[in-house]
Amino acid sequence: MSVIEVRGLTKRFGSVLAVDHVSFDVEQGSISGFLGPNGAGKTTTLRMLLGLVEPSEGTALIGGNSYRELSDPLRRVGAVLEASSFYPGRTARHHLQIQAIVAKATPARVDEVLHLVGLSRDADRRVGDYSLGMRQRLGLAGALIGDPEVLLLDEPANGLDPEGVRWLRELLRSLAERGRTILVSSHILAEVAQTVDRVVILDRGRLVAQSSLDELTSGARQIVRVRTPRADELQSALGAEDVPTRLVGNDWLEAKNTTPEHVGTLAAKLGIPIFESKTEAENLEEVFLKLTATDQERGSR
Amino acid sequence: MIRLIRVELLKLRTIRLPFGLLAAAAGLTALVTVLKASRAGSGGRRMSIAPLYTVHGLTSVLTSTDFAMIMALVFGVIVSTGEFRHSTATTTYLGTPNRVQVLVAKAVAAAVGGALFGAVAAAITTGVALIFVSSKGYPLVLGGATIARYALGAVLGSALLAAVGVAVGSLIRSQVVAIVTVFAWGFIVEQVIGGLYNAAQPYLPYTAARTLAGATLDGGTAPLPFLAATALLVAVAVLASVVAAATTVRQDVA
Repeated sequence: MSVIEVRGLTKRFGSVLAVDHVSFDVEQGSISGFLGPNGAGKTTTLRMLLGLVEPSEGTALIGGNSYRELSDPLRRVGAVLEASSFYPGRTARHHLQIQAIVAKATPARVDEVLHLVGLSRDADRRVGDYSLGMRQRLGLAGALIGDPEVLLLDEPANGLDPEGVRWLRELLRSLAERGRTILVSSHILAEVAQTVDRVVILDRGRLVAQSSLDELTSGARQIVRVRTPRADELQSALGAEDVPTRLVGNDWLEAKNTTPEHVGTLAAKLGIPIFESKTEAENLEEVFLKLTATDQERGSR
Repeated sequence: MIRLIRVELLKLRTIRLPFGLLAAAAGLTALVTVLKASRAGSGGRRMSIAPLYTVHGLTSVLTSTDFAMIMALVFGVIVSTGEFRHSTATTTYLGTPNRVQVLVAKAVAAAVGGALFGAVAAAITTGVALIFVSSKGYPLVLGGATIARYALGAVLGSALLAAVGVAVGSLIRSQVVAIVTVFAWGFIVEQVIGGLYNAAQPYLPYTAARTLAGATLDGGTAPLPFLAATALLVAVAVLASVVAAATTVRQDVA
């Protein structure tokens, strides 16, 4: 069941098309990575989902309603946007006490979320004295105060140290195990690759991929390298089948967009001996970079 | 709505700025009041104050609440612009997507806080005036009811100006620009308009608030009656809020 439904979502800022007819779904109980380079339109999309920015076209629904229609929104949706939106002179505890009243949560919930994000000892310090990582944790505490079913997190790993990133990953996993639906944005695929089930990838305002992580990598191209004394013969045979190839040295042949099975079968048919074979898949990061490359970059690849 | 007003009041109680503003308003009111009371009957040529045994002299000291009233207006501006200065509007609107409700809650909370500015200032001016009058052995030339009405006017005027400030801040959003605007409005625009067109004085919002607290007008112009001045300030607060709700409050929060 889709908890988040985005349909034809579009936002123009003057002549700039920040988000261009984007549609995607996030299933209940899943963790989806919302990926794309900086400026791809991720934050604008999240802000439209949260009713902070009015879409130029299209709809963004959470549980079938627009955010502004939700009663008690903090009990339905928790969001972390930028890490700096706290009043610097207020303590973390006071900030969360305010959020707790808005969310109709019990005062005890403040201590619970402080403990959950590891800020119990620093709760009575002013937020202005917090590090970026601590502000991210406080943002998460605020998002969790109403114990919401859906979490929308914009670059929550920013400012976290490696230990913090691991902590975040475990927190998100445990929340998903308890049926929470999470959409987490990042401009670094590796940051979320170990956490997410699915990915939604934006580039320059457009949706470029929406799939599971496995589907994303299975679509990745493979490079098959074989060592054979008759490399040029095999090259012309593969060339006849439109497989791009490249000779490396005297006896290595590199073939793209094909499989080792195909190359091996063809060689056997022609009686070409193969002494050695290696297969390399493009990794996830390369797939991501390729999907989000600019035209110029794509041309040079 | 009660919950939202509670939230806005808690927001104000958990930061230092409102207390700093209130302390500044109280300190300056005390300084001005004591200076005026001690120089009453013997002031300088540009700013002479009648002796405290005259209605004019006593009123002049009692109405030193005007600085605290403009500080209440500034306080209201800060209540709304602070959300944009620190990007906390995002958090506020996530909790309460109905932005008009947020605006109303802020106006009410600011009015409660603003009333405190008026109350503190009225307590200071009344206390200082009474101390000077009794220490000099003068008769009290204004009745208790009049003095109480001036104090009530200061409280009411400050509360309503703070609500106006919330609306002005919602319209302008930039804290510095909004604060400069309200100071310029109160100390320059209203003074110039009121000075050039005496008959317009009673209808100028800050001047109307001052007359609620007992201030007299140039050229012997009669101030608006208490209820009419109150109604004028309520109307300004409502009108500015409606304009803000229909325009800037709806804008994207990025």
